[in-house]
Amino acid sequence: MQLVAVDAVAAQRGLFAGQSYSDAKALVPDVFAKAIDTAMLGARFADFCDWHSNASPLVACLGGEEGYGDLMADITGVAHLFGGEQAMLDRLTGRLRAMGFAVAGAIAGTVGSAWALSHFRPGTVLDSDPAPALADLPVAALRLEESQVWALMQMGLKRIGQVEGRDRKSLAARFGQGLVRRLDQAMGRAEETIVPRLPAVEHYAERRFAEPIGLIDDVLMCARDLAIQVGLRLTALEMGAQTFHLFLYRVDHKVMVLSVNAGRATRDAGHIARLFENRAERLSGEYDAGFGVDMIRLAASSVSPVSLSQIGAFEAADSATELTELYDRIASRLGPLAVTRSRFVNSHIPEKAVVLEPVLARKPDDPAAMPDPARPRPLRLLPRPEPIEVVAEVPDAPPLRMRWRGVGYRFTKASGPERIGREWWTPDFALVAEPAVPAAETAVSNRDEEEKPDDLPSVRTPIAARDYYIAEDEAGRRFWLFRAGLYEGSNLPRWYLHGLFA
Amino acid sequence: MNRALKQEHLLRLRTQIAAIERRPVLTDTGPVAERPVGLFATPAGFVQELYADEVRNGAALLGFALGLARPLLTRQRPALVFFQLGHESQETGLPYGPGLGALGFDPENLVLVRTTTLAELLWALEEAICCKAVAVAIADVGGSPKLLDFTISRRLSLRAQASGATVLQLRYGLLREASAAHLRWHLAPAPSAPMPFDPRAPGPPRYLASLEKGRLAGFGTRFIIDWTDHGFQHIEPERAGTDGRAALSQPLPAGLGHRLSQAG
Repeated sequence: MQLVAVDAVAAQRGLFAGQSYSDAKALVPDVFAKAIDTAMLGARFADFCDWHSNASPLVACLGGEEGYGDLMADITGVAHLFGGEQAMLDRLTGRLRAMGFAVAGAIAGTVGSAWALSHFRPGTVLDSDPAPALADLPVAALRLEESQVWALMQMGLKRIGQVEGRDRKSLAARFGQGLVRRLDQAMGRAEETIVPRLPAVEHYAERRFAEPIGLIDDVLMCARDLAIQVGLRLTALEMGAQTFHLFLYRVDHKVMVLSVNAGRATRDAGHIARLFENRAERLSGEYDAGFGVDMIRLAASSVSPVSLSQIGAFEAADSATELTELYDRIASRLGPLAVTRSRFVNSHIPEKAVVLEPVLARKPDDPAAMPDPARPRPLRLLPRPEPIEVVAEVPDAPPLRMRWRGVGYRFTKASGPERIGREWWTPDFALVAEPAVPAAETAVSNRDEEEKPDDLPSVRTPIAARDYYIAEDEAGRRFWLFRAGLYEGSNLPRWYLHGLFA
Repeated sequence: MNRALKQEHLLRLRTQIAAIERRPVLTDTGPVAERPVGLFATPAGFVQELYADEVRNGAALLGFALGLARPLLTRQRPALVFFQLGHESQETGLPYGPGLGALGFDPENLVLVRTTTLAELLWALEEAICCKAVAVAIADVGGSPKLLDFTISRRLSLRAQASGATVLQLRYGLLREASAAHLRWHLAPAPSAPMPFDPRAPGPPRYLASLEKGRLAGFGTRFIIDWTDHGFQHIEPERAGTDGRAALSQPLPAGLGHRLSQAG
């Protein structure tokens, strides 16, 4: 066990990060140590990182193993909003200090030099060549591994200035390529990019509040205003967007993100605002403004060109657009899997021949998969065939009587069979008596599906073929039932009900 | 003088009541040309309840509903939206795309909306009715939930009337609640006529439909109907029982027809 972090009092008494816990205990018997909760720290730090995107759009988390690490913000073209770089640094660090955090920060031209300065000379704003400023700093400021630092110290190379300017080849050979790379990155000779946690957005509008707001209605009203702004901006560019994110920056350093998707690229402010209203309806209980929201940003992504169109006096309503907007609205409140259409799959097996796919994520149809109109198919299909008891006159004859859901039926007419065999040309061709529910299906109705074990060993045994019959009972109800397998020897095949005809 | 005033009052009250009740006065709902063509061509903008006694008759109920819906689809209003509660799919069955072709429907036009609660379903239903591109919304709700009360049906009927979309509510059971639906059907399947050349096989689907509430101009209240390739066909009750029916003429395949004309 090792110490990960120590506070000021502990540091004064000689404890340091990296020390083993038993040593620390020996030095300071009344040491108070707590196990590190990496997951919690990581999540908090990520929130923290997201929240700082109100200062700059590109904020990255250079995380350590402990779950937290360094916050890196690209402030290119941002500092003037805060009245200069020094003022920005003071404001950002001061804000955190006021909340009781121990903060150190620096501004420099490269990721490496900013890291070095913030750790070893906090408060520096460097706008010149990093080499002289870094020369005095210890080599640990280069973000090196423990062993590399140790090896350099043994050689007497304690400061960056001593390393810089030496023969690169011998440095790489002795201490590893990593040292040279880190040195180049700090000096600005090698490129280093940061990966922002939130995707960079080009089109956004934001509003800051003098007083934090809390009510969801106020937030949505503001979202409507921002949607108008973004819409105007997109109109000027002849663009439309499909995905919209609403970032709510809370006073207590958290960001809530609401995202909605539109079926086709749009810039209609009314529609976007409706989608956010529906989305907000869905989160009802989860909405928590904490101590208030002091900034809201609406960002548009997945941008594509949408030409300007003239709104005519005699314009006929475009039904396709209206429908997409309807599906958007329903999907934004009930989730994208609630609005589905059937897509045909090239398969003979009834439950595989159709999958339910979200209307908004529509794939092109496969012409070969179109159902054959000559084959009778039921109007309603039971997602899982239900086992029934059937009496047939002789093997391979149409069924005479059945028992389904505890009720007996006597058939007067029947036609069939239609034999559906296994598809030996597909990799997973085993035909089972009781099939699994299609994928989209499970996602939508997973509530009742989850309780049932998917793999029932007794019924998921492969069979040779299914024989489907259409049978009509005395009252005129028509059923689609099948016999799983053939009559072979003494084992009787089982019967299932799979669908109902109109 | 007094009498004339009374008459005037009565007339005014009657028109008010008619306006409140929104009775399906079919002759007054619009110009004849706008009314769709076909048997049971109900005007658009109505709420219709379709009752079956049991859930097992649900497929027949859906078939009849699709039959009612077909003449209502137009180019401006191409969409048919089907609403169901997600957990009822196994109980009543999911509408199956390949089976829609037999009823003359392009599965392309059918959108399934499956929700987890009835409140969400009703919200989505109302949202769909307000859309100018939706011709018919079919709501498949099992049982008789408390939420589906008169207020809801009144609300739906006002919305439907305002936008011109038709709502078909599929309901099950013997209980009839007060509702503001314009038409209420009761539907049961009936034994079909045998196939012309295969007497042991089931023929075209046959329904026993009766109109429990509302009137359709020019029709009675009980019908025996077949679904054929040309839409609903009215079957006279005396013919319904007999099996000696003439075979329906089917169109010749193009290739065969061509050859026949050459032979002749």
